Amino acid sequence: MIYTSSSASQTQQIAEEFAKRLTGGEWIGLVGDLGSGKTTFVQGLSRALGYEGPVRSPTFTIVNIYPTSHPSIKHIVHVDLYRVNHEIEVRALAFEEWAGRKDGVVLIEWPERSASLERRCSMRIEMQITKTDRTIFIPSV
Amino acid sequence: MRVLGIESSCDETAIALVEKQGDHFTIVKAAIASQIITHAFYGGVVPEVAAREHAELVFPLLEQLCLPRDGQSVDVIAVTYGPGLIPALRVGVEFGKVLAWIWQKPLVRVNHLEGHIYSVWPKGTPVFPALCLLVSGGHTELILMKDHGVYEHIGMTRDDAAGEAFDKVAKLLGLCYPGGPEIVRAADAGDPNAIAFPRPMLETDDFDFSFSGLKTAVRREVEQGKWKKEDVAASFQAAVIETLVKKTIRAVFQYHPQSVILSGGVSANRLLRQSLKDRLSIEQPRISFFAPDFSLTGDNAVMIAIAGAYLAERRVFVDPLFLQADPNARLI
Repeated sequence: MIYTSSSASQTQQIAEEFAKRLTGGEWIGLVGDLGSGKTTFVQGLSRALGYEGPVRSPTFTIVNIYPTSHPSIKHIVHVDLYRVNHEIEVRALAFEEWAGRKDGVVLIEWPERSASLERRCSMRIEMQITKTDRTIFIPSV
Repeated sequence: MRVLGIESSCDETAIALVEKQGDHFTIVKAAIASQIITHAFYGGVVPEVAAREHAELVFPLLEQLCLPRDGQSVDVIAVTYGPGLIPALRVGVEFGKVLAWIWQKPLVRVNHLEGHIYSVWPKGTPVFPALCLLVSGGHTELILMKDHGVYEHIGMTRDDAAGEAFDKVAKLLGLCYPGGPEIVRAADAGDPNAIAFPRPMLETDDFDFSFSGLKTAVRREVEQGKWKKEDVAASFQAAVIETLVKKTIRAVFQYHPQSVILSGGVSANRLLRQSLKDRLSIEQPRISFFAPDFSLTGDNAVMIAIAGAYLAERRVFVDPLFLQADPNARLI
């Protein structure tokens, strides 16, 4: 599906709609340039899964974890690889703890910065900045 | 009292020994990993990779402090337990626990944000209540400190931190990392009034911030291609500083603090320091202003040791068997 968003709240609505498809265990890559709305998308998605707290950019912290209130999804792992320049850095993030867990959703901004983590993403959502709006590409299955 | 501080919440691994006499602090010894990563240690490996490998750094750092092996010169151990990156935090926390256990020293746990507030203590002792604007790569927070250990979180960023905005705008302008100093350099040669960038959330009733939209506004202007890089940098910096200063001053009028503290990595920005100081002296000349020594603006262990000293004085000790890192630790 191709969506057009002209505001942060619209991007969040699209994410909320998308969140209904999630059951737990998904790894999702969020691809798009600076300011394309990746963190905004995670804000909408987290709210839809029942997390009430703040969702802030994990650029500096690299990984943020949000507890959710959802029948099968207990936490969201919000990852931002923007500051990751080498595959070896991923090891220090101790990702193995989250791999394979079915009660969480992993969302990765800038997945292309790590081949090993990008491979794990079963879905890739692309966000593009156009002159006035944002275009969001979400695979249908 | 001599406190050994340990900090490993994100990129930096740091250890410091600080001595407290009354409200006076002496930094006995301090070491930060980024300063010792040389080719001798990590031939060929890039520093930012090594810096996050905290586990391999803690003992070389401790050795740098040249403390007696039995911990004789240390009275208390203070360690950052959160917020931060969990694998990074764990290294410092486990290290602190082991030292406390083996040396049989009391252990205190320090909130990273609390540490940043105490980074100004070597400059003088703020009178409470103190309003703190904490601005860094990972944080933009307004915290009211009513007493040692008594905090009220009154505002924070809803998306990007101020320091992160500096880094990302620097990237959009094709400048180097870290972006803060690069933006400042470019801004010095630019016109801060060239572009009227938005002042995000300036008119809202709360004390929250938002810098994500400002980043997008910069992108749109840059893409038009008609502005000088210097003018974009100066106008952007002016927008961030005005937003931070105005919201802080408004919080001053609402919460009536006796002191205002500016801390965190972005507090190294001289224009921000000067602007906040000037506005405060115009609006509320009786309130004293504190900003840390430039060596203590970024993440460091000195501030953790200072915060830890006050915790130890109040005897808020933790059991080394049960202390755990908390990536979402809150100040309350």
